[in-house]
Amino acid sequence: MKGSTSRFKVILLFVLTAVLVLAGCSSSASKEEKKDKDGKETIRFATWDNEDTLNLQQKMVDDFNAQNDKIKVVLEGYGADYDTKIAAGMGAKDAPDVMYMWNYPLYKDALEPLDSYIENEGEEYKNNFYDALWNYNKTDDKMLGLPVGYTTHVVYYNKALFDEKGLEYPQAGWTWNDLQEAAKKLTDKSKKITGFAFSGQPDPYDFEMYLWSNGASFVDKDGNLDGNVNSAKSIEVFNMFQGMLKDGIAITTEGSGSTEMKSGNVAMFVNGAWSLGSLTEAGIDYGVVELPKFENGQNVSIVSSSGISMSKDSKHKEAAFEFMQYWTGEEANKARIEFELPVLKSLVESEQLTQDPVKSVFYSMLEKSDGYTPTSYIVEDWTTVADDLSLVFEQIFNPSTLMDPKKVLNEVVK
Amino acid sequence: MKTSKTYKFIVYIFLGLFSLYFLFPFIWVILTALKTETEVFAFPPKIFPDIPQFHNFVDAWTSQPFGVYFKNSVIVTVLTTIGQVASCSLIAYGFARFDFKYKNLLFILLLSTMMIPWDVTMIPLYMQFNIFGWINTLKPLIVPAFFGSAYFIFLLRQFLMNVPKDLEDAARIDGANEFQIFYKIFLPIMKAPLILIAVLNILVVWNDYLGPLIYLQDQSKYTMALGLAAFRGVHDMQILPIMSITLVMIIPPILVFALAQKYIVEGISGSIK
Amino acid sequence: MIKKTRPQKYNLVNKKVPYLFILPWMIGFVVFTLGPLVFSLIMSLFDWPVTSSPTFVGFGNYIKMFTDDPQFYKSISITFKFALVFVPLNLIIALVLALLITQSVKGIKIFRTIFYLPTVVSGVAISIIWGWIFNSEYGILNYLFSFIGIEGPKWLIDPKWAIITIVIASAWGVGTMMLIFYTDIKSIPRDIYEAAAIDGAGPLRQFFYITIPSITPTILFNVITSVIGALQQLTLVLLLTGGGPLKSTYFYGLFVYNNAFKHHKLGYASANAWFMFIVILLLTLLIFKSSSAWVFYENEVKKEGGKK
Repeated sequence: MKGSTSRFKVILLFVLTAVLVLAGCSSSASKEEKKDKDGKETIRFATWDNEDTLNLQQKMVDDFNAQNDKIKVVLEGYGADYDTKIAAGMGAKDAPDVMYMWNYPLYKDALEPLDSYIENEGEEYKNNFYDALWNYNKTDDKMLGLPVGYTTHVVYYNKALFDEKGLEYPQAGWTWNDLQEAAKKLTDKSKKITGFAFSGQPDPYDFEMYLWSNGASFVDKDGNLDGNVNSAKSIEVFNMFQGMLKDGIAITTEGSGSTEMKSGNVAMFVNGAWSLGSLTEAGIDYGVVELPKFENGQNVSIVSSSGISMSKDSKHKEAAFEFMQYWTGEEANKARIEFELPVLKSLVESEQLTQDPVKSVFYSMLEKSDGYTPTSYIVEDWTTVADDLSLVFEQIFNPSTLMDPKKVLNEVVK
Repeated sequence: MKTSKTYKFIVYIFLGLFSLYFLFPFIWVILTALKTETEVFAFPPKIFPDIPQFHNFVDAWTSQPFGVYFKNSVIVTVLTTIGQVASCSLIAYGFARFDFKYKNLLFILLLSTMMIPWDVTMIPLYMQFNIFGWINTLKPLIVPAFFGSAYFIFLLRQFLMNVPKDLEDAARIDGANEFQIFYKIFLPIMKAPLILIAVLNILVVWNDYLGPLIYLQDQSKYTMALGLAAFRGVHDMQILPIMSITLVMIIPPILVFALAQKYIVEGISGSIK
Repeated sequence: MIKKTRPQKYNLVNKKVPYLFILPWMIGFVVFTLGPLVFSLIMSLFDWPVTSSPTFVGFGNYIKMFTDDPQFYKSISITFKFALVFVPLNLIIALVLALLITQSVKGIKIFRTIFYLPTVVSGVAISIIWGWIFNSEYGILNYLFSFIGIEGPKWLIDPKWAIITIVIASAWGVGTMMLIFYTDIKSIPRDIYEAAAIDGAGPLRQFFYITIPSITPTILFNVITSVIGALQQLTLVLLLTGGGPLKSTYFYGLFVYNNAFKHHKLGYASANAWFMFIVILLLTLLIFKSSSAWVFYENEVKKEGGKK
């Protein structure tokens, strides 16, 4: 017995030495890393863009590095798992200095407020961005990001299918009744063609725009669901969408609907600017048009905005902001124009984007959408609320349940 | 054993049915990789591309520095495989062929390391690697392999437990020490299971995506799996590059498997069980 | 280091030797595993929103989990139902496949590779393909069904079918288990079979009286690892269904993952993870206890009353 305990001590000693050796050889490495060869300040910059635009971003970063003799930016691209990576970095206090951001309420505590930085740049600087976008880049009255891009949501329609039935293309100012009528005419069961498609599990963040369009919302100013998400105006919206399914003029999709749209068998669906490029690549001849209105309503879109933020823990804040300015400046907006809708009024004007048949639609939707605050910015625990809402939406829209909106919405507010 | 014709027939029917299930999605990957975007999404589904788009592979490979990624992946895979085979054979031998104090407790401890989901240990592990200064290097992906993994140790132990006891007893009588017994007698016997864990490790590490995602930062350190994931964006994904890179990525582990098959069979047939 | 004269008697193994063999693992455990493990256990007593500092809540997370989170129980029940189907099914398929690829028929090497192939294909690409195959309206499978006049189920939309879809898609990657069985079956000496054949035992008898008993150690391995795998299943649901439809595939692994990375409740997720850890540990111990009745190790045959 005695022998075995002393052996354990030997082993323990082993382990401790191993730990020390490992820690020793490593700490020397960590100190080397922070300093760049040229003594430049190194800024880590994380983006969620996928390969499509990553090369462009890399080029823009390289340009910045070439112009700048004090700062060196390293681009880190994480694609679809951006959030996991960023959360891990924040949890371990090793977040990138500058990062792409849209879900400010969720990350606000780890981000540096930018108000003073923005003030230093003056009113003119601030006013050149669309107001609606500033609203999406702040929480609790603190600016947490600079706008980089945005998209509003629009209706994509398949021109070929409209032509086939001899229908006029939809025009701005149309109503949901118009859409349903068109969908009815376009639907052709024998050819498996459907008039309209929408997600069977819509993201509540996106779906709120339909409620806004009908004068409702998920919550009031104080964050109460009851009396809002289950109000008559709100239920009307859900009934209308469910009705389209029941009438067989629309289908629900497993994703956003872009896969189905690309098959060429869906005549209309709603999405942000993300589908512009990929639908073209898939060989679909499409057009875009503003969202339809409800009777007596105004069509409103959610703004899916993207900005860049600074980590609260960054050790290079001044340098980081300098780079952020570059990234949101006119030149950079212009460089991204193929992939991202510019957020600077001056550039939109000089590029005459409001004349562009496709892009203008997104800008006019943006102007109509100022002044609406998504519920995620109002309630404390949006991700949980969104989960609950999302399940209810599914119960309403899933073909195997198709539950009564009034009933389930009344239940969820409890 | 004589195999009758009906027996063979039944075997082929089963082989055929399972092949259908295993091959169908895979063949669809191949066919998709050779299509144009329009053909990919067409409905009714288009089985064969009109003109096979072989340039999809070139486009995908050149869109990112895949040569660098490939090199990184090879480094990580080769080193971890060496590490796992070396460490796991020792450790599993220790657990399987000796009786010692706290053995069962330690073994349960070993198994329990497989049971904690990574979501909750990831951040503390990140912090730890950060203290070591290993973030944005390949070390977090490689070094732990030299200390064994519970899965492979357990697997190897099961094989070693199944070797008759008299083997090392005889050697001990001849005066061999424990490491000689391990090295001279057991290593040759373990050839097949060691090749098995090498094959499995290559498979796991080659396709590992979460480790590289969390610990690596700049592109020059990325692995193939991470490069592949970069085609998947938040709102959209690039189907063609995903399919073609996936196919390219299959080649090394499948080649290894094809080669290893032979040894898995050979390694045992001569030895005592 | 301690130098002693090596014991001359062969039956006396130096007591430190076994520890030297397992030393690498012990070092690795202390350096790479212990810290994060303890950290996550401590974090389960905190409210930790990732983006800001943790606050101590005692057993609050555990209490909330057991009393105030219906999804916790739902996810557990879905996960166990899945495991109950998945584990036996996969074991059987793996074993059948392993037997098939040990047959000496023409072209067997190619079949071996075919069966192993799916495990090599990256999860991302294959989840996309499964998504297309099972797409209800414009999917490949339902399109094929339409030729024989069947209206295919709404695979990923109907909750009843979604879980079946997951089972079908996850059984696809059974190759690892198959390969383990295969390696073990290959190591059974041929002469045992030959002797049995001379005694007139058919293939079925040989299978039950020779093959199965010989590979019980790897069966134990595959049972335990696939139980762990099934109870922690995450990748496939994350990529293919996201937990839907109607949370019918909201497995426990996804529950923990979402709590951690979607809701940023890392303390709560740690509590979730530790609960599942205990459950899996108990299950594993139970399986191990039972294994003395059905697992036969060659090195224990001669020992009397060999315990394990």
